[in-house]
Amino acid sequence: MSGFVINFEGEQVPARAGESVAAALTAHGIRGFRVTRSTAERGIFCGMGVCQDCLVEVDGVPGKRACMTVVDRPLSIRRQRNGAALPPVSDALPPATIDELAVERPELLVIGAGPGGLSAAIAARKAGAEVVVLDERRSPGGQYFKPVAVEGADVAPPDAQHREGLALVAQARAAGVVIRSGVSVWGAFRPLEFAATTDTGETRRYLPRAVVVATGAYERAWPVPGWELPGVMTTGAAQTLWRTARRLPGRRVLIAGNGPLNLQLAAELRSGGAEVVAVVEAAGPATRAPAAVAAMALASPGLVAQGLAYQWRCLTGGVPMLHDTVVSAVEQRPSGLAVTLAGGGATRVLEADVLCLGYGFEPSNELLRALGCRHEHDGTRLVTDRGSDGQTSVAGVYALGDCTGLGGARVAAADGTLAGLAAAAGLSHAVGPELARLGRQAASVAQRHRRFQQALWAVYRAPALAIAQVPDDTMICRCEEVRFGAARAALAEGLNDAGSVKRATRIGMGPCQGRYCRPLLEALIQEATGKAPDETSGFAPRPPFRPVTIRDLAGKP
Amino acid sequence: MSDALPTAIGTVVIGGGVVGACVAGFLADEGQDVLVVDEGRGAGSSANAGSLHVQMQSRFMRLYPENVPNMELQLPLYPKAVAFWRELASSLNAEFDLKMTGGLMVAESQDQLDFLGVKAKRERQLGLDVEILDRAQLDAIAPYFGPSIVGAELCANEGKLNPLLCNAAIRSWILARGVVLAEGVSVARIARSGTGFAVSTTRGTVTAGRVVLAAGSGTRLLAAGLDPPISIPAVAEPLHMNITEATAPLIGHLVQHADRMITLKQFGTGQIVIGGGWPARQDVPGGHAEVELASLIANASLAQHIVPSIGNLRIIRTWAGLNTSVDGMGVLGAVPAIPGLFVAIPGDAGYTLGPLSARLVADVMLGRKPGEDISPFGPERFE
Repeated sequence: MSGFVINFEGEQVPARAGESVAAALTAHGIRGFRVTRSTAERGIFCGMGVCQDCLVEVDGVPGKRACMTVVDRPLSIRRQRNGAALPPVSDALPPATIDELAVERPELLVIGAGPGGLSAAIAARKAGAEVVVLDERRSPGGQYFKPVAVEGADVAPPDAQHREGLALVAQARAAGVVIRSGVSVWGAFRPLEFAATTDTGETRRYLPRAVVVATGAYERAWPVPGWELPGVMTTGAAQTLWRTARRLPGRRVLIAGNGPLNLQLAAELRSGGAEVVAVVEAAGPATRAPAAVAAMALASPGLVAQGLAYQWRCLTGGVPMLHDTVVSAVEQRPSGLAVTLAGGGATRVLEADVLCLGYGFEPSNELLRALGCRHEHDGTRLVTDRGSDGQTSVAGVYALGDCTGLGGARVAAADGTLAGLAAAAGLSHAVGPELARLGRQAASVAQRHRRFQQALWAVYRAPALAIAQVPDDTMICRCEEVRFGAARAALAEGLNDAGSVKRATRIGMGPCQGRYCRPLLEALIQEATGKAPDETSGFAPRPPFRPVTIRDLAGKP
Repeated sequence: MSDALPTAIGTVVIGGGVVGACVAGFLADEGQDVLVVDEGRGAGSSANAGSLHVQMQSRFMRLYPENVPNMELQLPLYPKAVAFWRELASSLNAEFDLKMTGGLMVAESQDQLDFLGVKAKRERQLGLDVEILDRAQLDAIAPYFGPSIVGAELCANEGKLNPLLCNAAIRSWILARGVVLAEGVSVARIARSGTGFAVSTTRGTVTAGRVVLAAGSGTRLLAAGLDPPISIPAVAEPLHMNITEATAPLIGHLVQHADRMITLKQFGTGQIVIGGGWPARQDVPGGHAEVELASLIANASLAQHIVPSIGNLRIIRTWAGLNTSVDGMGVLGAVPAIPGLFVAIPGDAGYTLGPLSARLVADVMLGRKPGEDISPFGPERFE
């Protein structure tokens, strides 16, 4: 296998070609990456480029996300210290204007190369549209497929889910879809303009005639004391380490949350040789909801079989399943993370190297909101107003999948086909009988999988986070290190909207742009004022939706 | 903040930005009962970037050359306004992260330096503490500029503060003084009623003996709706701002440019705020302002051109704020045609001038002689 050596603050760390810096460092037992203003260490949390907690300096360049930086040469890495001095620069580039940026004008732009985006691109291309897909990661596939990025004799081969992703990507390429990987779309401007920066540092404008937004979701916060400690990460982050780099997040892993992904992770990490201390599930056992289980089996016997297989692998692997139980605190001890679990009126403490939190998802809808697409709040999250063909309230803007609410990969893929066809038709491409049949098929698949999802979440029904019970010293804003007590004090002073609380407390002012704290703050505001959250109650969307280096804005890498 | 507005009150201040809040605070300090009505979101003060401007801003001189005489007329108030911010910090016993670092307006050519020389001479006559620095002198106090900078005007009266801290402290102060703060409430109409006013709001009508218009550019429509209509030609300037992640102390001064639109300064958090008047977009007058890509690119790349090492910093957020521009100077004091009506619009550098402008208007309302001659700024000049 090919590999490189990373010099991490003087320590030699072996790395596989193609894996992320985060994966290589984690495999070497390094947990602490960014150092905050209060000099606390942070580790990988989201594992997907959203949370900005794994920042490192790469070859002297600050502000690189370890989870998104691919090892493609020997690298010198240092922890990113908050407020560190900048490397000196002697040449002054001339000021740039927007007209100097490279411009691409694809007929149809698809943002996000997960199952939904790829399906949309394939369908639109088949109907004759010229399609460019942008995706932030180095390889297409998104957070569902998570393609294997490394090779070698010690690397487990791709599984069925990987192979399905590879096939979809191959199908897209064969159809003539242009996929641009490593391109982060960080701005959306009305009526239909996008700003994006490549991983080589070039900023471009995209001026398509229509767009399909399929930007997926990220994990919701589970705010308990200690949730910001290195070693506490999302279920998705741990799964990315394993599925893309074949690295384990740690030796002893405790997985907690709500939903089937946690079970899949447990089975995957077991197969990789990790000790899964327990799977802690907020919902009760499935046997409590037999009707919903039957409905699931009817809608998708394949997925139910897959779920049972994960469960069987956990069971035979001796992984304890703890139902009706949630994580209530995490503490760093010399021997590992001490995780307090609460359930059935009692608490207990389990120890692990890594705690994975998977308590559901939050849509990545910032591009849609910036374009002015209407949303409604369903009591839990914002849901994009859209037709069954993905058409949003803004002409030429189509959206689908988890960024529009939730629904999972199968619904996204089927809705992708529908949105791709609708977008192509909107661009005056004829949708012939064969494609129309494809559309009808997709509509029926989408419907069936919506039924599945409905039944699934009836099985996994669990009490919502009790916001009133979150202790005052719990972090609400990870970036700015603001705690619940400060938010409550601001509300007690009469501030009653997210923007005012943000300005008074700095909650949401950090580089993740309030992605984790916003739903928590909205819940606190609702608790304090009785006002239900709506489309405008969070923070206003402000580009850049990913931090962007000033030098990259000047256009030249 | 409470749901029910009082039906009658001594004074209604319309606009809860730094000016309106401070007018209310100064009146309440003297025991007067005051209601502040604020539309409540995205007001200029809550989007301010914290420059304490004193020297004449080249941007306004270029954009509105006809306003330069008025700018000069108000210029002596600027250093006093900065000094007043310091007094306010100490009287409220609050931390504003206020730093009197001085401000640098840099030049990239001899022409620009000559322009600064003429400007500095005039400013010195008007009482400002300014000097022209060549590149060597500049490097001695600010060793962070790129190779194209040939010199600068240094204005010792300038500085910066953190508006988030200021706004929070001012809010706490006026609430503690019993000011009633109605946020998220709009004023539809101000009618004269008896010897006072009936102010119709989205949460009912309030009668008041006196009304203060401190609504920035929103003042124009409110004043025009009065009987008789009052002309206050205030316009909104939606402006673009950027903020970076934190870095080590680098840029001590408030930095501007003799010929390009830029302000650069570093907060106590280590974050660098980049602004300077690049336009934002406001589709509906009075509506939300949105940032534009063209401004982001031009503003950020210009900042890097002037201070090259910040090219390695990431911008984490942009936002649009609203400045209020009139005729190069503020509108302060009583409206002679309508007894009981007052206007408080500070001027081009609204946040810098805010508390002092509020003090002067409050003094007039309290029957005191204001500490400065405000007759040039009277609202009647537009009649």
